[in-house]
Amino acid sequence: MPVPQKFARGNEMGRGPYEKSGMVADTALHPLKTAKEHFEIVLDADDDVEERILDLKVQLWYLPYGNMNSDPFLWKEYTEIVTIKL
Amino acid sequence: MLTTKRSLGLLSCLVCVLSLSLLFLCAGPSQAAGIGKDGTIAAVKGKATTLDELIAMYDSSSCYGCHGDKHEEWSQSVHSRSVYGTGRTAATFRTAFINGFMDWAYSGVESPEDVEVEHLMGCAKCHLPQLADATDAVAKELVATVFDWMDAYQNDDMETFEKHQETLLELNINCLVCHNRMAITHKWTDGYPQDDTVYGYSEGFHPDDHFTEMKVSPIMDASILCGQCHGLGPNLELDNPTQCATAYGSYLWSYIANGGDKTCQQCHMQESGLGHNIQSYRSQTMADKAIDWKVKVRPMVWRDARTVHPKVMIDVALTNNAGHGIPDG
Repeated sequence: MPVPQKFARGNEMGRGPYEKSGMVADTALHPLKTAKEHFEIVLDADDDVEERILDLKVQLWYLPYGNMNSDPFLWKEYTEIVTIKL
Repeated sequence: MLTTKRSLGLLSCLVCVLSLSLLFLCAGPSQAAGIGKDGTIAAVKGKATTLDELIAMYDSSSCYGCHGDKHEEWSQSVHSRSVYGTGRTAATFRTAFINGFMDWAYSGVESPEDVEVEHLMGCAKCHLPQLADATDAVAKELVATVFDWMDAYQNDDMETFEKHQETLLELNINCLVCHNRMAITHKWTDGYPQDDTVYGYSEGFHPDDHFTEMKVSPIMDASILCGQCHGLGPNLELDNPTQCATAYGSYLWSYIANGGDKTCQQCHMQESGLGHNIQSYRSQTMADKAIDWKVKVRPMVWRDARTVHPKVMIDVALTNNAGHGIPDG
């Protein structure tokens, strides 16, 4: 997301609109562009099983205030039962 | 005697010339500000001196009789509660006051009595642009209302809380804000929005007791109409710049630059089917429309020396179809 700059100087983020001017960084999704993310999840080894079934859930959250405690918004969700044969 | 008369005559001429010069000096600035500026709502009615006067100045209730469907749509949008929001927006006015103006050495604000319209325009430029058509007394009243509203909540005085809440909800971006006050951006080119006129897509008679004219707004279907508030970035015209929305900047320099060709109105009003219920991500319609996402899952067996681990690889591709960065405002 756009990381606003406090009073348009330095690298400190501003929070209230009254102190925001400029940007320190911008990790937003930009228009007409595709952003790619890659995740790898390694599960614990278990010699006694020949198959692992994973209840996978991938979620895209928007956190307007930067954390899950304040008005989080679940934008997208994907679920799949994944079978891994060992 | 003749000499004296001639002197008096010359003196009279000089006084006349000076008077005319003063007249031109007085008339000059108002003429330079633009022809028709004296016909705007604010100029005709005069600056509002109370919140009630400001609410009355931009009262859109006469629109509802004929445009009830549009009113119904609008009433579901955040434009209908642009100062109050969910309550958080109004509370941020207070935060801006305490953490901002009162904390800054050169703002001239030490208490709510010191606030002027100019101080609040950092927020009001977009949340209540018509505040510019009010006196400083209204700025003080607005701040006092927000403070009293929050105090009433903390004191569990629901009667006072609801009274102030109602006032704050009446301060909004209504029909007259978009279809009059903000309907013309290039006022020297297209003229100043007039007190008796509503601006849209048609010309002619408008059946209303006061707003008797309809005129075409050259920007009613253009993104700049929205861009006036959903901004470029820092509001550098202010003595202490603020920044809320950067959506119009993103639209110009990222969306258009990447080949986009739609307007704000096309996506948010027409294609969405939401009309005047202009929404963003909290609307499922807009959220679904904004982002395409593809998830590819690949299970595999990971070998860590002799240990075998189940492993899953996940690739996520997110494409932003919106005309601006996500998130933005």
